[in-house]
Amino acid sequence: MERGERKRGSKLRIYALLLVGLLLLSFVRDLSALSVTVNDVECVYEYVIYEGDSVSGNFVVVDHDIFWSSDHPGIDFTATSPAGNVVHTLKGTSGDKFEFKAPRSGMYKFCFHNPHSTPETVSFYIHVGHIPNEHDLAKDEHLDPINVKIAELREALESVISEQKYLKARDARHRRTNESTRKRVVLYTLGEYILLALSSALQVVYIRRLFSKSVAYNRV
Amino acid sequence: MSAGPDEDPSSKREGMGNGANVRCGVLYALMVLCLTSDLIPEGEAIWMTLPPSGTKCVSEEIQNNVVVLADYVVISEDHTHPSPTISVKVTSPYGNNLHHQENTTHGQFAFTTKEAGNYLACFWVDGHHQGGGNLSVNLDWKTGIAAKDWDSVARKEKIEGIELELRKLEGAVEAIHENLLYLKTKEAEMRIVSEVTNAKVAWFSIMSLGICIVVSVMQLWYLKRYFQKKKLI
Repeated sequence: MERGERKRGSKLRIYALLLVGLLLLSFVRDLSALSVTVNDVECVYEYVIYEGDSVSGNFVVVDHDIFWSSDHPGIDFTATSPAGNVVHTLKGTSGDKFEFKAPRSGMYKFCFHNPHSTPETVSFYIHVGHIPNEHDLAKDEHLDPINVKIAELREALESVISEQKYLKARDARHRRTNESTRKRVVLYTLGEYILLALSSALQVVYIRRLFSKSVAYNRV
Repeated sequence: MSAGPDEDPSSKREGMGNGANVRCGVLYALMVLCLTSDLIPEGEAIWMTLPPSGTKCVSEEIQNNVVVLADYVVISEDHTHPSPTISVKVTSPYGNNLHHQENTTHGQFAFTTKEAGNYLACFWVDGHHQGGGNLSVNLDWKTGIAAKDWDSVARKEKIEGIELELRKLEGAVEAIHENLLYLKTKEAEMRIVSEVTNAKVAWFSIMSLGICIVVSVMQLWYLKRYFQKKKLI
């Protein structure tokens, strides 16, 4: 009888542990790398549940047909907390990573500002990660340190995935630049050949006219 | 580190009967609820604001044979009017219409990509919406490993708790590995394009020098012939 009671008691404890573990572990957020076209200002909102969560992410401006890249320095990025304070800002960049600790919970605003008139496509990725800390551990004695370790491991893997998404977006941008270079090489050199032939033909025509009898006979 | 529980279905059934173990049953039910329901979502959503006129589009470049799962909900900041509706359209890179819905406040779509390219999801406010308030759309967009149905995996293989979490981590690691291989092939493709461009630059520059020489030689030859004809030389 006593053994049965002990067994049932331990089962209860295990289920409680699992429940809390599941509740906490499932609060790890993830997002796919979406692209949005920025005409002037585009804002994306994300909800942060716990204060102290680390919000990380990256964005890359996918290159469109910019003629001179020195003309276009990039776009501005601002992250605003629910209270209205600017938590993080990046200016004039064509792609960067960012990370900050959320000072409070609530709806955070991530804005991209395009100072130029041509619309730009921005590929971004935002991740909000929560790791149960010692305070949560102390509050709930059924919470096992293993859940903290698993959450840390998951956050580490998410950071690798985030880095890979950044690399993928940068690679897409690089690929577009390469394609543009290849097209430019072919078109511009063909144009150069045609112009060369045309200009020498014009030269010949002009010299012929100089020597023709009908125009200024005694000038030459 | 403590290990996960070893499931014993017979003892579970025996534990359900007694009053002291009703708590056990309730906890177990709650756990199953957490595993199987959408109360605690695993992927989070981004919020966008839709202007009263105009379209907002999001896109993603996705490889071939990837599962895409998306959920959208409309919330209006203006509560005095009846719930506004939006229209959604999802197109594949070749222009095929994957999902088209009008006059809706919420919905979801899922598809497996058949071609690699840019997938576009566009939202716009229907014309019937009165009031100038901005609409907020919550879009929960999951691709690949994030769209995997872990509940069915847990049910099929009868694993739960920490073992399930470790299985999810294993899935994440496999996704990382696949992404690495994808980046490697993309880099190889780009290397080929770069080398082709490099060869083209060299070849075209030499050819441009050659054309310059040929054109000037032809010029000289023609002018000499012309002057000889005109008896100037």
